[in-house]
Amino acid sequence: MEFIRPDSIDAAVAALQAENAACLAGGATLVAMMNADLVAPERLVSLRDVAALRTAMRQPDGSVVIGAMRRHRETAEETDLRDGQRVLSDAAGQIANPPVRNMGTIGGSCAFADPAADYPPALAAADARIALVGAEGRRTLPADAFFVDWYETALEPGELIESVILPPAPAGTAGSYTKLARVAGDFAIASVALVLGMEGDACSHLAVAVGACGPAPVRRRDVETELLGGGLGDSEIRRLTDALADGLDPVDDVRASADYRRRVAPRLVRQAIAEAKQCLSGTQ
Amino acid sequence: MTGASITLKVNGADRPVAAVAPWTTLLTVLRDELGLTGAKRGCNQGVCGACTVTIDGEPVRSCLSLALNCTDCEIATVEGLAPAGSLAPVQQALAEGNALQCGFCTPGILIAAHALLRRNEPLSVDEVRAGLSGNLCRCSGYKKIVEAVVRASEARP
Amino acid sequence: MKIAGSFNVAAPVELTWRAITDPQVVGACLPGCEEIEAVSPTLYRARIGVKLGPISATFAAEVEVLEEEPPVRVVSVTRGEEGGRASHIRSENTLTLEPADDGGTRVSYEADMTVTGRLAKFGFGVMKKKAQSLAADFAGNLEARLNEAASGG
Repeated sequence: MEFIRPDSIDAAVAALQAENAACLAGGATLVAMMNADLVAPERLVSLRDVAALRTAMRQPDGSVVIGAMRRHRETAEETDLRDGQRVLSDAAGQIANPPVRNMGTIGGSCAFADPAADYPPALAAADARIALVGAEGRRTLPADAFFVDWYETALEPGELIESVILPPAPAGTAGSYTKLARVAGDFAIASVALVLGMEGDACSHLAVAVGACGPAPVRRRDVETELLGGGLGDSEIRRLTDALADGLDPVDDVRASADYRRRVAPRLVRQAIAEAKQCLSGTQ
Repeated sequence: MTGASITLKVNGADRPVAAVAPWTTLLTVLRDELGLTGAKRGCNQGVCGACTVTIDGEPVRSCLSLALNCTDCEIATVEGLAPAGSLAPVQQALAEGNALQCGFCTPGILIAAHALLRRNEPLSVDEVRAGLSGNLCRCSGYKKIVEAVVRASEARP
Repeated sequence: MKIAGSFNVAAPVELTWRAITDPQVVGACLPGCEEIEAVSPTLYRARIGVKLGPISATFAAEVEVLEEEPPVRVVSVTRGEEGGRASHIRSENTLTLEPADDGGTRVSYEADMTVTGRLAKFGFGVMKKKAQSLAADFAGNLEARLNEAASGG
């Protein structure tokens, strides 16, 4: 095994062009898997010294570019995230526990794509894009297209995540992440990332992504669009949760049965929407 | 595999270590090479918190930190909390509160609690519980641990 | 870990039976199967690679047919071991064929699988999803092959 610590993105990409090379970001997952003898990369490319990956910046248009090496703690405290973009900081603050939030990075979490991780649904609800860089150049993908299957992403060998880009959220929207877990800091049994806007009683913005209930976050944009302009009462929420339920493909595991996840996910959606509505009416 | 020769800065001192393989964790170096056995190898998966140390002032898992990635960092272990023969306030508080049973989790708890106490303000039970949520105590002696850390936060000037 | 499922193929039972008990056909349809050989009429050896996210494993597997009731049922046991990596799988499998209403065949499978060693440290929840998706890929490949044969290909 080789260990390389490049200090630029270009050098990191160059180092990654090798058989069985892996990026080492925060190490919170990769090193745990190495310790368990689940993975044994032949070359580790540590991104620790790549300063360009460690910044988060709000752009003039209100979008926020978060470098792949931003720690969960930094993202949880990120003041550049406003309105509905707060869905991401809310999720970041609920990942694991303080020491792990000091280590883990948004790029590492996205690349590993644990189906029960907290970022993927938050990124899906925020309509985020993932910026990738490889030997062939750069490309960006919407979160929906990035998270492909169980632990599988659209990352090609030799490519790394450069940043995550959150588009501006409409002013006055609220972003929240609602997570059901056995204990604080565990992986989710089910989770709901929500970006909601209300103008009076009418829904002006709606994005709901269910996490930990399938290989990738589940969203129903078609139903969300249909519900815009309406009151978002019980029957409308029911239409959304019924549609979402069709897309769920949860696992049976030590945390919960698949059946339990199916039952609890719609309730979490209802809870998240009720809380967000309350929060929005309190601020208007 | 011969490995690399590196220097780690641990508890303020430069500590050279020879033949460090890429997969060697900071925890392994601390315990097996430097004789600093305060940090414990519990799960080796980042779950239990017994290996917690600080890197550049922030608590992290030493079992998930590769030693070769830790050069140019300030590493602090439980051995560095107070000069030999004395106790840091947080250590004193846990000792006085009988806040340990088997003691295996204690070094990690001390590091995490010490970092919490840097905020220099009285902490609530919930704040302490959240701050220590990454440290498991299999004797389940949480109540006394939390009480001791709360008391330590209140006792500060 | 129990995995069960079924799929339909357009070919009649006899033809499906011949395909599904032919190691070369099975090897060609099974995702990740790198090689397969018949050691005896009831013992096969295969090399099978599986991948789950960042984890890859290659197993040297042995399939032993315990009971055979042509053309409707076969019971087998699969033992696999990962060269030098101390991971083992064992699976008891039952495959049942029955005529479907449309003249095709309904193939049902049941497997009771145990995984020990390093791979057992990974969650069984997702492993089961992966096994189900491999079974679905196998069914799709077998179906395509049988259809090809049926159309005189």
